[in-house]
Amino acid sequence: MSNVRQYELVYIVPPDTTEEQLAEVHQQVATVVERFGATIERTENWGRRKLAYEISRQREGVYVLEVINGPAAMTAELDRRLRVLDAVIRHLIIRVDEEISVAERAKANRKAAMAARRTRRGLPPEPTEDERRRREGDDDDLEGGLESGFRAGGDR
Amino acid sequence: MNGDFDKDRGGRGGRGAGGSDKGGDKGGPRRTFFRRRRVCKFCVEKIDYIGYRDVKLLAPFIPERGKIQPRRISGVCATHQRALQSAIKRARQLALIPYVTD
Repeated sequence: MSNVRQYELVYIVPPDTTEEQLAEVHQQVATVVERFGATIERTENWGRRKLAYEISRQREGVYVLEVINGPAAMTAELDRRLRVLDAVIRHLIIRVDEEISVAERAKANRKAAMAARRTRRGLPPEPTEDERRRREGDDDDLEGGLESGFRAGGDR
Repeated sequence: MNGDFDKDRGGRGGRGAGGSDKGGDKGGPRRTFFRRRRVCKFCVEKIDYIGYRDVKLLAPFIPERGKIQPRRISGVCATHQRALQSAIKRARQLALIPYVTD
C-alpha cells in the first residue's frame, strides 16, 4: 500500500486536435495506468491556453491534467509512451502526495499552535464567529488606511 | 515560525507607538521610512502549498525579464522561496510561464 503514490500528469496537445484524438491519448494513458493497477482519480481539461513560448511551432495548446494514484514504476512507462505520441507536444509528471501532506501538516501544526496559545490565554481553542469577523475588518484596514485604522483603535 | 510571530508583534508595537505620540502627525512612525518590514507573502497569507498550476500566485515573483525574483527583493522566507522556485520551474516546463522574455 505504501508504494502507491499520487502523481499529477499534465500534457499539452495542439489546439487543432480533434475530440477523438484527444480521447485516444486519454485512452492510451488509461491503459498504461490500468496495467500497473493504478487509478485515475480525476481528469481536468483546462481547454485552450496560450503558451508562454513556442512548442513545436504551436502558440496555443490544450492542457489536460490527470491525477493518478499508482506505483513509481508507472511513471517511467507513462513518460516513455507520452514522448512517443506525436499528438502530445509537452508533458510533465510530478509526484504530489508528499508536498500535499507537508502542506497539510503545516496547516495542522499552525492550527494546534494557535489552539495552544489561545488556551494558555484562557480562551476557547477555536476563534468565535465574532472574533473572526473583527479579524477580517483588521485585514481590510491593513490593505487601505493602515495608520488611521490602528490609530482609531489605539486612542480610544 | 517563531521569528514570524515576533515580527508580527514588533510591527504592531511599532504602529501602536506611532499612534500614541500623535504630535507629529504628518511624519508618522519615522522608522518605516528607513527600513520596510520584511514580510513573506506566503507566511502572512498562510499559503502552505505553492502549486505550479497557479499562475496567478506565481506571477508577482516573476519580473518582466522572466527571471525568478531574488529573496532579498521580494522578502519571501527561505522555506517558501525554495517551494516557489520549484513551482516556477515546473510552470516553465509547461509553458505557463516564459523562461525568458525579451
